[in-house]
Amino acid sequence: MQCDDTLLRDRMAAAQAGDKEAYALLLADLLPVVRGMVYRKRSFLDVADREDLVQDILLSLHAVRRTYSPDRPFLPWFYAIASNRLADKGRQDARYKRILDIGSDFHETFPAIATNTPFEGYGDQQELADAISQLPPGQRQAIELLKLKEMTLKEASSASGLTIASLKISVHRGMKTLKRLLRQGSDQ
Amino acid sequence: MNTEDLIKQLSNDAADVTVLRPPLVRASVWVLLSVTSVVIAVWVFGLRPDIKIKLSEWRFVSEQFLTILTAVMAAFGAFCAVVPGRHKALIYLPFVPLVLWVSVLGYGCFLDSAATGEQSAFLIDWMCFPAIVMVGALPAMAMVFMLRRGAPMYPRLAVALGGLAAAAAGNFGLRFFHMVDAGLLVLIWQFGSVVLLSIIAGCCGHRIHNWTSVTDELKTA
Repeated sequence: MQCDDTLLRDRMAAAQAGDKEAYALLLADLLPVVRGMVYRKRSFLDVADREDLVQDILLSLHAVRRTYSPDRPFLPWFYAIASNRLADKGRQDARYKRILDIGSDFHETFPAIATNTPFEGYGDQQELADAISQLPPGQRQAIELLKLKEMTLKEASSASGLTIASLKISVHRGMKTLKRLLRQGSDQ
Repeated sequence: MNTEDLIKQLSNDAADVTVLRPPLVRASVWVLLSVTSVVIAVWVFGLRPDIKIKLSEWRFVSEQFLTILTAVMAAFGAFCAVVPGRHKALIYLPFVPLVLWVSVLGYGCFLDSAATGEQSAFLIDWMCFPAIVMVGALPAMAMVFMLRRGAPMYPRLAVALGGLAAAAAGNFGLRFFHMVDAGLLVLIWQFGSVVLLSIIAGCCGHRIHNWTSVTDELKTA
């Protein structure tokens, strides 16, 4: 889709002055551009996650619309925000993925005892269930939804009513507590 | 919520906004505020008695000029960093006066050792760091407030530059009441404090200004 910078610039200037109709038109014009960008650059994500990203970009644009100066071109301003959000979200996801991966079960382990010690507890289902039951309620819920029922963050968020951010923190803390509990169990 | 509904909601909630002034204007406002705050701090601590002599020395004047130039350029760079679509070269512009400043300080060390014929004595000056923090505190607070009105495009860099601007302003004020002029001491304890404060600010940048807090404000509104 071709975007006319002058038209977008005028619409944004009107939106900054409180013209809701111009703003709705501007966002509607930008939607296919944002979708195209996200779908092209994040083709490996599922549709729901890509749409989340589209919404994040639109929200960011809305939140910082005061930084646009109507005497400057609109598209460089808009693309700078969109690219920055894409990169930021990519870094954030990578960071959270690393957190979620902590302690996840290995399919293969090495034969040496030292390499297996921290994960020995996982082989004992009863011990694992006992350890999970000892977790604080928030952490237990996050572990059950994300690790046992293997829900996505979004699904877990709508099932529990908690925000994605707090679920991520709870599951991270839950995994740490679980590791500690299982280590204590195997030491005894 | 589907995206089309989000657009409807955003456009319905869209009130008029005050457009952010250009970085140069914002930097000028910040400089005005900071100079006022530094003048008050110098007045409180008292001007050094040899200030007239110092103002006639090219070394003191050039060091002070480069200090305040670094502060001004860093403030300008920081304000550019929170405006999407600005040329990135503008953000790195403050590094020019910063390098010139450290070069002049280094040359000062060389002159000192040439004059005494030996290495300058290394002394510990505990006053520099807290004094720079004190004098630069108000400029730093003003900077954080002003940066948070922008977009968190490069939060670490923007806050590091903001920290550099405030610390350089603090150092500029410090030299009007603190009688330490030996090249090595100024280089290590004053310039070192400025660099350290900028690094600390940069490390906190993401906590001070980030997309999550910017968009969360909308979600909770």
